[in-house]
Amino acid sequence: MSSNRRRTGPNGSDWRNALFIAPYLFFFLTLLVFPLFWGIWLSFHKADTFSSGAFVGFNNYVRLFNDHVFLQSIWNTFYFVFLTVPALAIIGLTLALALNSSSRLATVLRSLYFSSSVLSVTIVTLIWRIVFVPQFGLLSTIYGWFGAEAPAVLADPDLAMIGIALTTIWWCIGLPMMLFLAALQQIPGDIYEAAALDNAGWWRTLISITLPSIRRTFVLVLIIQIVLQFQLFGQSWLLTRGGPNNLTKPIVLYIYDIAFRRWDVGLGAAASEVLFALILVAAMTQYLISRRQEER
Amino acid sequence: MSDVSPSPALRRGLGDHIILAAVLVLSVAMVAPVLWVIGLSLKDNAELMANPNSVFHPPYIIDNYIAIIGTSAVFRWIVNSLIVSVGLTFGTLVLASLAGYGFARLEFPGRQVLFVIVLFGLAVPEQAVLVARHQIFSILQFHNTYQGIILPGLSNAFGVFLMTQYFRAIPKELDEAALLDNASRFKIFWKVLLPLTLPAQATLGIFTFLGSWNDYFWPLISATRKEMYTLTVGMASVQSNFAQSEGVGFLMAQAVFAGLPIFIVYLFFQKYIVTAVSGAAVR
Amino acid sequence: MTAEIDIRNVSKRFGSLTVLEDLSLKIPAHEFVVFLGPSGCGKSTLLRMIAGLESIDIGEIFINGEPIGHLPPGQRGVAMVFQSYALYPHMTVRQNMAFGLQNISVSSKVIAERVANAARMLEIGHLLDRKPGQLSGGQRQRVAIGRAVVKEPNAFLFDEPLSNLDAALRARTRVELAQLHQRLKSTMIFVTHDQMEAMTLADRIVVMNNKKIEQIGSPMDIYDRPATRFVAGFVGTPQMNFLNVTALATEPSGVRVECGALAVVAPFDAAAVGRATMLGIRAESVSVVRDGEGDIGATIDVLERLGDRSLVHARLADGQSVVANEAGQTRLKVGERIGLRFAGDKAHLFDADGVAFHVREAVS
Repeated sequence: MSSNRRRTGPNGSDWRNALFIAPYLFFFLTLLVFPLFWGIWLSFHKADTFSSGAFVGFNNYVRLFNDHVFLQSIWNTFYFVFLTVPALAIIGLTLALALNSSSRLATVLRSLYFSSSVLSVTIVTLIWRIVFVPQFGLLSTIYGWFGAEAPAVLADPDLAMIGIALTTIWWCIGLPMMLFLAALQQIPGDIYEAAALDNAGWWRTLISITLPSIRRTFVLVLIIQIVLQFQLFGQSWLLTRGGPNNLTKPIVLYIYDIAFRRWDVGLGAAASEVLFALILVAAMTQYLISRRQEER
Repeated sequence: MSDVSPSPALRRGLGDHIILAAVLVLSVAMVAPVLWVIGLSLKDNAELMANPNSVFHPPYIIDNYIAIIGTSAVFRWIVNSLIVSVGLTFGTLVLASLAGYGFARLEFPGRQVLFVIVLFGLAVPEQAVLVARHQIFSILQFHNTYQGIILPGLSNAFGVFLMTQYFRAIPKELDEAALLDNASRFKIFWKVLLPLTLPAQATLGIFTFLGSWNDYFWPLISATRKEMYTLTVGMASVQSNFAQSEGVGFLMAQAVFAGLPIFIVYLFFQKYIVTAVSGAAVR
Repeated sequence: MTAEIDIRNVSKRFGSLTVLEDLSLKIPAHEFVVFLGPSGCGKSTLLRMIAGLESIDIGEIFINGEPIGHLPPGQRGVAMVFQSYALYPHMTVRQNMAFGLQNISVSSKVIAERVANAARMLEIGHLLDRKPGQLSGGQRQRVAIGRAVVKEPNAFLFDEPLSNLDAALRARTRVELAQLHQRLKSTMIFVTHDQMEAMTLADRIVVMNNKKIEQIGSPMDIYDRPATRFVAGFVGTPQMNFLNVTALATEPSGVRVECGALAVVAPFDAAAVGRATMLGIRAESVSVVRDGEGDIGATIDVLERLGDRSLVHARLADGQSVVANEAGQTRLKVGERIGLRFAGDKAHLFDADGVAFHVREAVS
């Protein structure tokens, strides 16, 4: 705003003002920016826990893409995102539409659906393990009522990822619901009054008024969830350890295995750069597609 | 969630009732697993092994919970989690408030560029820096210490972003009135503006506390000694004992016990948490 | 407790945008000065420069002879009342008023005394323990004034403080501000775009437009002898009538001004001859007479009944419009043919640059 050539007014630019942001900046630079570049550096080295060893060029990346477990983990991650993100968005929207009211029932249900989100991944996986476990699991008990035997979900190659996805949806449904509710509350009431005067029915109001009004939130929810679910780790690690046959092993678990259990830090760093790139590309694509649609 | 946007009479239609019914049915799926866990935690292990269906009828016992008090490391882990979460929350509020004020109100060389860089920080997922961060902390011998678990969270850009937005929304005339009232820079921040950011402090505090309490990955790789486990890591470590030595009932009792603190926090601060989430959403 | 403020050759730029251009102004102690002008004319910027909220790029401001450009806002001995009041929302009224005094380490006894005095004077004693959120707009405005009063400043600066009040409250507060000035005798600078506020409050009005001062003068001076066409048009309701001048000639009895079919003769400044392009005359100096009488004929377009008087919007044969004053109870009707009589000695002439020429004042 001000260009103070002669004197320092109240809006004057002064390097001492930067002292207010210096404390945060210190942590930002040392714990985020530096590790970010250090990680890239490491990915080109044969490194262990304490030091970066010899420069190996793109060797780590070459090893990575020749490792079928890594390729499998990329596939697994995309499969998981595909299973969870659309479901979270659609169920979240449905919940928000149903519970966008000040009635007592809606209030209680809203807190109920959000309550699982405050639990840690450990508690959540413990709960769902007890659902899926054979013998005294909830699922097998229910199957037992009908005289059937429940599949061992977490040990079944076809079902294990679906089990993890179900657990995740149960855990994460609160946030999309809240985001949609917030968006619904932002729609001005007089639009609905105008629609009613225009003889729009329930379905038409939903299709032509409500949904278009929250389109931006829909994109926001998709981006947030894609970024979040790309980082799947705890559920897989705690429910299946990535098995059976690495079929539920996501990229982050692969990184954990390589960098923190096999201590091949350089390879782990390379894998985390690939994940970073994937998340950025996925989020950007989503964002650009939504922008293009909006412009049309 | 205060008032509903449209007048209910206008848009409560058949469609709403169908959706509401579906949502009610779905809520059974939300609750059932939790009830199942609580049920198991109240059963004797031997009885469960003999007949899983015994969950549906008495006797219910609290022996599993009593056993926690004597034998479980859960208490230690809860204390660790509290130290870490409170520490990180406090640190985040201090750093974000100072930086938010700086970015929103003060001029200094390079301010714009720095703010953009910090915004980019929002887009960096934890995994992209984790490996390098772990190596740095190894060299500094920060692993298995409280600061080792707390410090990485202080670099999170979300708080700075939130506070900057909030400070920007406060009318500038307040600063000017305070300037004319002879208040120093720091006094304007401390006495005039900071008290007005309490709602944002609450939002940020709740998010940070929940996030830190529930964080799993970093404590898992940084705190490798059992007595430094946070509750989340600790509870994960006992999961592998599943259905073995200690018994299902005892394990479930620990799960319920471990979930209890955060659930109580949720019940107490529910209103704030809900407004925090939706408030941050609107931003 | 009062200050003489001397503004010398002050300019202000925001980037490439110039807001004030080489502006000088001397405000004697005790005076109530109003900066009047349309939004964007730079009046608020000038006020904020006196307060220290904007830096002075070029020039200097002196208070009681001391240059103040280098002083921070708090040390200039001025107090300001903001348009939005800018009360601290989390402090009680008492704390709001005490804050500035605490910052300069005034003893708590003195603070309590001054707050009590100011509260009594402004009749806000019963509000002292409330917070701004619990007050009405009028009450907040009093608190904002109170916060300025307790500081016992050399000068009060008001930045459109009445614009957030409703019409009735605004009128009342105007009177109270005038009383406050009489009681405190401090220098007061008041910024507004409302000419009514300026007319009623000011000892002197500084009319500003487009980075510059157009005219400085007493309210009646500004009204009766506007220095420029801008001032003539900005001050007064309804706006002054302007007619294009078609011919000018010197006559024994004065200057003869022709605007199409209309001719007015009055003792204008002879310098106007050959330069004036526009005639200006206020509605109250144009009266309605019967058709065929007066200086020119016209047709009534619109009739605005204000109660105590009526404004007749009349159209001349050449299409120009003139507003004339008429009694409140007039029987005139829209479409009626009327005659208009111009009080030529109340008219003004303006040249192409907007500079005004008035009727020579009677030599007494």
